[in-house]
Amino acid sequence: MASISQKHIQLALSLPPRLRTFFARYPAATILPEGTAPESAKTPYQEEAPNPFLSTKHPVTGRWHDPKYSLRRQAELVKLARTHGVEELLPFTTKGTEERIRKRVELGLRVKGTGVGEKVKGHKHERHLVAKMEKRRKAMLDMPDLIREWKKVGKRNWTRWPK
Amino acid sequence: MAKKAKSRVIIVRLLSMAMTGYFYTFTRPRVARPMSLLKYDPIVRRRVLFLESKKKFTGGR
Repeated sequence: MASISQKHIQLALSLPPRLRTFFARYPAATILPEGTAPESAKTPYQEEAPNPFLSTKHPVTGRWHDPKYSLRRQAELVKLARTHGVEELLPFTTKGTEERIRKRVELGLRVKGTGVGEKVKGHKHERHLVAKMEKRRKAMLDMPDLIREWKKVGKRNWTRWPK
Repeated sequence: MAKKAKSRVIIVRLLSMAMTGYFYTFTRPRVARPMSLLKYDPIVRRRVLFLESKKKFTGGR
């Protein structure tokens, strides 16, 4: 028993300081010494945020608080843990390898905005293009009549000026 | 001090009635009637009616 935990300690000491600090603050339930209840052995960090990778809702104010670790730092930790083979000890994160694979399976190599019910917003001039061309087309269809009327009324007596 | 006198001639904008937003600018005497004329609109590539629009020069003073 003691030798196993000794081995674990040796392993832990071989980790980079960044990971070591993280696991000291947020130890996974699986690496706690045997016999300790996971609830009572929580570190103060864990009591504050059970999963530092997820945003939490404040129980009193009801406001959402950002995760303790930003997505960038989460990804960095995941990469670091993966190279040292301890990724399964990290709490759940969207940056984890499994989650990434799951997302890739779910979504594939799709291009955002091309799915059913999705559309690309586009630039303003692109959004207004159809209406603009329609207005222009209508104006051109009415143009002969307008010119005829303008010639009949005469430029001296014309009253319909554009706003 | 007296106010500055209004100029005798004004700059007017003649807007294409093809709704292309294309316009010509001319000067005309302030007291004259508003301008209107048939002129070429390069966007629809045709001669269309141009009418003087209300003076609201937002671009270029």
